[in-house]
This record gives sequence, structure tokens and C-alpha cells, in this order.
Amino acid sequence: MSRAVVEIAERRLSLSNLEKDLYPSYGFTKAQILEYYRGIAPFILPHLKDRALTLKRYPEGVEKDFFFEKRCPSHRPDWVRTAAVPQNGGEPITFCLVNDLETLLWAENLASLELHVPLARAGSPETPDSMVFDLDPGEPANILECARVALILRDLLSGMELAGYVKTSGQKGLHVFVPLNRKGTTFEDTKTFSKAVAEIMQKHYPDLVTAKMAKQERKGKVFINWSQNDSSKTMICIYSLRAREKPFVSFPLEWGELESLAGLGDSERFQVSHSEAVRRAEKMGDLFQEVLVKEQKLPHL
Amino acid sequence: MAAQGIWSGTISFSLVAIPVRLVTAVKPGRVSFRMLHSTDYSPLARRMFCPEEQTMVTPDEIIRGHEILPDKYVLMTDEELESVSPERSRTIEILDFIDTKEVDPIYYDHPYYLVPSKGGEKAYQLLVEVMRRTNKAGLAKFVLAEREYLVAVKSKDGALALTTLHYSDEILPDEDLSPKKEKTEAEEESRMKKSIKKMIEDFDPGKYANERRKGIMELLETKAKEKPPVEAPVVTDEDGEGPSDLVAALEESMRKVKEGR
Repeated sequence: MSRAVVEIAERRLSLSNLEKDLYPSYGFTKAQILEYYRGIAPFILPHLKDRALTLKRYPEGVEKDFFFEKRCPSHRPDWVRTAAVPQNGGEPITFCLVNDLETLLWAENLASLELHVPLARAGSPETPDSMVFDLDPGEPANILECARVALILRDLLSGMELAGYVKTSGQKGLHVFVPLNRKGTTFEDTKTFSKAVAEIMQKHYPDLVTAKMAKQERKGKVFINWSQNDSSKTMICIYSLRAREKPFVSFPLEWGELESLAGLGDSERFQVSHSEAVRRAEKMGDLFQEVLVKEQKLPHL
Repeated sequence: MAAQGIWSGTISFSLVAIPVRLVTAVKPGRVSFRMLHSTDYSPLARRMFCPEEQTMVTPDEIIRGHEILPDKYVLMTDEELESVSPERSRTIEILDFIDTKEVDPIYYDHPYYLVPSKGGEKAYQLLVEVMRRTNKAGLAKFVLAEREYLVAVKSKDGALALTTLHYSDEILPDEDLSPKKEKTEAEEESRMKKSIKKMIEDFDPGKYANERRKGIMELLETKAKEKPPVEAPVVTDEDGEGPSDLVAALEESMRKVKEGR
């Protein structure tokens, strides 16, 4: 088994199984995964910063078993930052905080291909800094229907003087983020608001949209999953790889780009590969930068 | 017969080598059940738990130890285990031919079939036929999944059946089981012989159905007809509108959206 020791900011990190192919039907080794995250680090780190990380680990690759790990592994190096976050009124769990490159690479060395984070920071776990609409297509609907829904949603929110930002899930759906970044916002606020939006969308586009979780309601429609607006839920972090057959990335799109993709009608073209992700981020900068700083207030609550 | 084998290679003795595949001969008749969470019907996963640290343990933190005394372990790595495991092998080499009646059934472990691979059909048939006529079984050593087995190969219904055998040190001694010899009366003996004789039948395994399995399958069928199966919903939906101001504002915004389209 190949091993390598790297030193970043005077911290030593031992990397293992570098030649292991974790995406066997595509061909993408642990070394390439580490290389991807090293390249995307300047863009993903601000979105991971100070958030309780849930590791989703694929020690034997994407075709084999995975497991979620909330508790920061006890064998972590002493420089990995952690935060104890209370769980639904229960005992707090010590989570990892990925605030620097070395922690990011350490997490990837654990084959945590997917990085999931909550909508709130660890220091204020009950204050969401964004409201999210998780658009999930029920077959035979696909990402094209999601794009239609996202574009209507953008206009609907814009009529409420709220700006939204869209990214691919890296799988079949799209995520629309509405930055809030205001003290005093609660998950009850974001849940009430997003649910009302989902229900209005369902009422006016009953053939395209459902606001209901039940599987039989979702067939051929886009499920607007408002229930992600909860302190106990996590979302795939922007720029994270997904553990599917191919290493696609959850990647931000400009609204204009989403319009043209919707116009082209080819669902494949929405997906952003690992290499394209780094190239595009370096060229365009972080299209989700505003999500971290833009202050908006949810009206009529 | 199952096309896919769990092993393929050759069965050989002296100058004969026949390409074969190994397929399993029995499927346990147990009806399997998944463990579900009673509140949301999610299928449950098994995790390794460390009672000391009260935490789940990931595969990369799990090692192997053999308990030699209470709470005293000798550690063993994968590499060390591998160093004493037999080499993978592609042959079932018949060492001896024995009379089938000589093998005490207590030695039988797990039954398989050998099926001929391409090009081996003719030699396979010949071996099946000769073994049937001579009532002989081939005794062979065979490596499957890193373990070496002693196996018996027999002719059965026009095919070769392979049964893994227990090693003799796995068979528990039976000397303590039989009671001390006592005198039995000739009359008693003949009476018992008679009553056994009355009950003699040909062995027909089909006659003895697995009643519990049959019962479970029938019950499952009835239940599936009566009620649709439960599904694992992720959250429950609550109906009801949002705050009226918000709903009105959203309706107004939606009207404009639709006008603009």
C-alpha cells in the first residue's frame, strides 16, 4: 500500500492507499481525489469554514458500502479543529471543522468523498445563514424539470425582493440558496417561509411541482424539499464531489447559464466534472461568494 | 442448474483433467427478514460499537485479536493470516478413490455440484458414469476462499456432487454419549425390530415439507394482499397554509411571474 507524508503549514499529514481506485467504473484514484480537493480548496474552504462536518466515507469506493460519521474520529491529528454541537436537546457531538487545507486533505484521506454541512455555523447552530430549496426530480422528471422550477422560483423570490443562487446537486437535482446572514433568523422562519413557497409553487404548477415528501406524489414531478431547512439536516457542500459512478461536483451556475442549459434540453450538460470544476472556478471565481455575506430578511413573517 | 459458478478450475487425477465449475447445491429454506426502525420503517444498519468509548468504530480502526485468556488477546494482521493461508488453486486433485459407504455422514459439511465447463463435457460424463458403476467416491483436497477443504466427489443423478468434509479433529468424540452396556432381553429386541419393520418406507424427502416456512410464506402472501407494504418516508407532511400575509404576498408575486411568462 502506498503511503506518503505531506507537510502543510508545518503540519505533517500521512496519506495512505493513494493508488486505490475509488470510482472504479470511471477510474479515479484517492491521489486524484486529493488532487481535486487541493485544487478546489480556495473555493470550498470558505463554505466549509466553522460548519459541523458530517463525513460520508467510502473506504472501499463508490460502489461499496459507505457510512456517515458525525463524530470527529478520535484518531484525528491534534491540529484538527472541532466543535461540540448540541443535538436536538440531547448530548452534544464533537464535529470536525474543516477550516484549512490540511484538515480538508485529512478528511479526504479518510475517503470522505462527500462533504455534508448544516445551513448554520457551529457557533450558532440554531441560526441558519441561508434558506434552501432542494429540488429533487421524481422519475421520469429529471434535472431539466428542476431547471424550469428553479427559474420560476428565482422570479417568485425576486418578486419578494429576495435574491437566490443556484447550484447543481452533482446528482440529479438542483439547490437554490437564499442567503440571509442575519442574527435572529431561526429554522422555524426558514421552514415556514420555504414551505409556503413550495405550496404556492405546487398550487400554480401542479403538474410540475410537489411540496409533499411521499414517494407516490413525486412521480414525474419536482419535489421542492423545504424540510431541509432544519438544524438537524445537512446539505452537500458546494464544490464537494459526489459519490456516484463518475466524480461529478455540486457546482454553482449563473442564472443565465441555467436558462441556456434549460433551452438546450440536454440533461447531461448540467453535470460538472472534477476537472471542469477547478478550471471554471479559477476562471469565474466563487459564484456562491454572495451566499456567505449577502444580508436579506424574509418578509411577512 | 445455476450457470454462474462460485469457483472454476479443473478436477484431475493421474492424466485426466476436466474443466469444471463449482455451484452450490442447497439454498437454505429460511425466510429472511430485515430489521426496520418501528417508527419510520428505515432498514437498520449494523455498526461496530466500542462500549468503552461509547462510539461507533470505523473499519480502519478495527483489528483482529484471538482471545487466549479472558481479556488477553494475541493480535493478528491480514498479512500474517495470509502468510499461513493456502495458495489459491485452480485444481481439485483427487488423491484416492474410496468406497462411498465408507464415509460416515457425520463428516459431511456442505454440498455443491460440479458442472462441466466448455470442452469438458465428454470426459465429465465418462467420469460420472464410471464412478456410478463402481460406487466409488474421489477424495480430494481443494482450496476455496482461502481455506483448504477435504472433499468427497461422488456421482449423483448423472452429475458430480462435491461435499466438503469436516476434518477429523473437528468431530467431537462420542464415547461419553452411549450408556454403559447392559444386558438386553431377546424378546424385547425382537419386539422393537418388528415395530421398526412396520414403519419402514422409502426415503422420500419431498414428503417432509418445511411446515414453518410454508406457514410464513402463506402468511406473508395474505398480508401483502390485505395491505400495501410499508414504505420509509423521510419526514411526515403536515398540511396547512403559511402565515396569511406571506401567502398573499407570494400569490401576488406569482401572479406577476405568470404574467411575465
